[in-house]
Amino acid sequence: MQAAPAWQADDPLATTPSPSRPARQPGELPAAVAAALWRGDQLGSPVSAVSPSGFAALDAQLPGGGWPGHAVTEILSAQSGTLEWRLLGPLLRQVCAAGRSVVVVGPPRQPHLPGLRFEGVTERHLVWVQADTASERLWSAEQLVKANACGALIAWLPQARPEQVRRLQVLASSCEGPVFLCRPATAAHESSAAPLRLLARVGVDWELLVDVFKRKGPPLETTLHLPSVPGGLQAILTPRLHKPSTLLPRDPAPQTAPSPFSREAGHALVSAPAAGTRRHRLAH
Amino acid sequence: MLWSALLLPAPDDTASPTDAALQALAIWALQFTPRVAVADEAVVMELAASVRLFGGWRALRERVASEGAELGVRQVAWAPNSLAALALARAGVDDGFRQPLDVSLDALPMETLSAVRPHRLTLAHIGCRTLGDVRRLPRGGIGRRFDKQLLAALDQAYGRAPEVHRWIALPERFAQRLELMFRVDDAPALLFGARRLLLSLCGWLAARHSGTTAFTLRWAHDAMRSKAAGEGGEITIRTAEPTRDIEHLCRLLGEHLARVELLAPVGDLVLTADTVMPLEETSASLLPDTVRQGETLHLVLERLAARLGPQRVLRPVLCEDHRPEWMCRWQPAAEPLPRKPAMASELPQPGFILSAPLKLLVRGNRPYYQGELQMLAGPQRVDGGWWDRDEAAGQMRHVVRDYWVAQSQQAGVLWVFQTRLDEAPAWYLHGVYA
Repeated sequence: MQAAPAWQADDPLATTPSPSRPARQPGELPAAVAAALWRGDQLGSPVSAVSPSGFAALDAQLPGGGWPGHAVTEILSAQSGTLEWRLLGPLLRQVCAAGRSVVVVGPPRQPHLPGLRFEGVTERHLVWVQADTASERLWSAEQLVKANACGALIAWLPQARPEQVRRLQVLASSCEGPVFLCRPATAAHESSAAPLRLLARVGVDWELLVDVFKRKGPPLETTLHLPSVPGGLQAILTPRLHKPSTLLPRDPAPQTAPSPFSREAGHALVSAPAAGTRRHRLAH
Repeated sequence: MLWSALLLPAPDDTASPTDAALQALAIWALQFTPRVAVADEAVVMELAASVRLFGGWRALRERVASEGAELGVRQVAWAPNSLAALALARAGVDDGFRQPLDVSLDALPMETLSAVRPHRLTLAHIGCRTLGDVRRLPRGGIGRRFDKQLLAALDQAYGRAPEVHRWIALPERFAQRLELMFRVDDAPALLFGARRLLLSLCGWLAARHSGTTAFTLRWAHDAMRSKAAGEGGEITIRTAEPTRDIEHLCRLLGEHLARVELLAPVGDLVLTADTVMPLEETSASLLPDTVRQGETLHLVLERLAARLGPQRVLRPVLCEDHRPEWMCRWQPAAEPLPRKPAMASELPQPGFILSAPLKLLVRGNRPYYQGELQMLAGPQRVDGGWWDRDEAAGQMRHVVRDYWVAQSQQAGVLWVFQTRLDEAPAWYLHGVYA
């Protein structure tokens, strides 16, 4: 991580400072030292490879610019099974395109391949391990991490204890692919050995709200808004549906005052659309 | 010439090791070289041509020593010829290359050479203790007074005459029996004995350049069993791809044995290879970075399936159906996927689906799931399956539904449907756009 060789930065024989090197302020560090120094307010650079998450806003905030390999990443959400594919979809697309497998351990509901195909997951690269009890999930996840055989591992561990996460983290240091543990939002209060932890929830306007509350570097103060339209819905969204928050009956939207109409309007859109909106009727 | 002698201990001091034990050891040794022979109570093999294949002499020595110890070998010795190796092994010396062969052989007790044993008393009376003493006797005198084998064996051991061996041939089928040293009550404890058989099996497979996809472990109950226990039992292990990886086979067998309950103590084990297929080996890479660490995925999945059951390690198969329940079928990961993938519809589908639709609460004609649902897009009408009938449950799989994409502020984007045929249309939750 040395930007310039040492002799270039601190050459005692150089009598006149070269034009490329400005005179040093008192207290300023030599360039070579400054490049090798990590300050507490900077993002840490991970030693291992990262894979881009597919969200530019998220990549900018993750150390190294993507999901880390050789480490465990925790994704906390208030309800499991509401946003995992949307958040990890771009990554899974890369993994499957590279010909490696995605293994899911103990998902809360049955994965639906026709929908996952829109996230780039193909049938040859998806394995569902139906582990029901907490110990089975941990054992399966541990075996898969130890073997370093899958391109990405997503495990739902609602009851994992901190020492079990630590064990997985230690094993994951030799696992190339990213390992994701999906846990309930209450786990945010527990300590965890995972170097990257996110709290995610679903926003109304086709977006995911992500708090990066633990990473190498300072915790992120602001909430990230990541645009995400799941499951091929992008193709059928009308211009009005791009902002579902304006259709919400109970939310006092800025442009429409809460009137008895607004509720009717929202209802009317779906049951009897106005002449201007294009109605998508998908019938088999 | 690089010879190795593997000395098996006798069951008790007087008898020699059984032929079956020697044969099992010889089969295991055949993976290193085709030149394997049985000499008295030891197996000797010639390894000069195999050193490079097994990663150098040091690596080969360590592997022979560690795997041999698991098979019960008491002493391994290395020398330029088989008689010298055998003599060194009997004397408890392992490396015959440290000194010149004459020096190391001269110091050995004379009984270490088999040909000396018939004349041991006579030679002792004329003051011989070591092989060196015997060798220094006048050759003509030895030739006249003792038999011809003694001189020939001395010459061969000191490398002055060529040796002749009867090589062991590799059997066509693998079936090996092992009598356990003590009676075993607990099925997982059988693994210690079975590992020895598996080592031999892997050696046999390596010699045949094959892998196994099915092998059977049979156990025979002790003679003191109760009548209800029966003769014994067996367990057949199948693997998805041919393999001869001892660690993988051991772990698979361990997972299966963990679920076996023995009816009576076990005395004997028999291992047979049922299906043997040629195994293509991958070349080792010259550059270290291209070598992937770890196992392949199917080995891990096999192990998961062994513990969890094959019905719980699944891969999806797309089906050409419009009804969401039958759009995708899950099959055990070990089964091959259909060669030609089915065409899937391009219409939006959720990433998670509920195995059984959840009936929703309706208030004022609007469905509720964690709060009121807001309908975003729809309806998508799915109507079909009148030809499909679930014989076991005796009901039709006819589906007449209008699917809607709905939004809930807590639960995200949902996939709900309204039934049309029933008397009272009801709303159901069927999937989550997660």
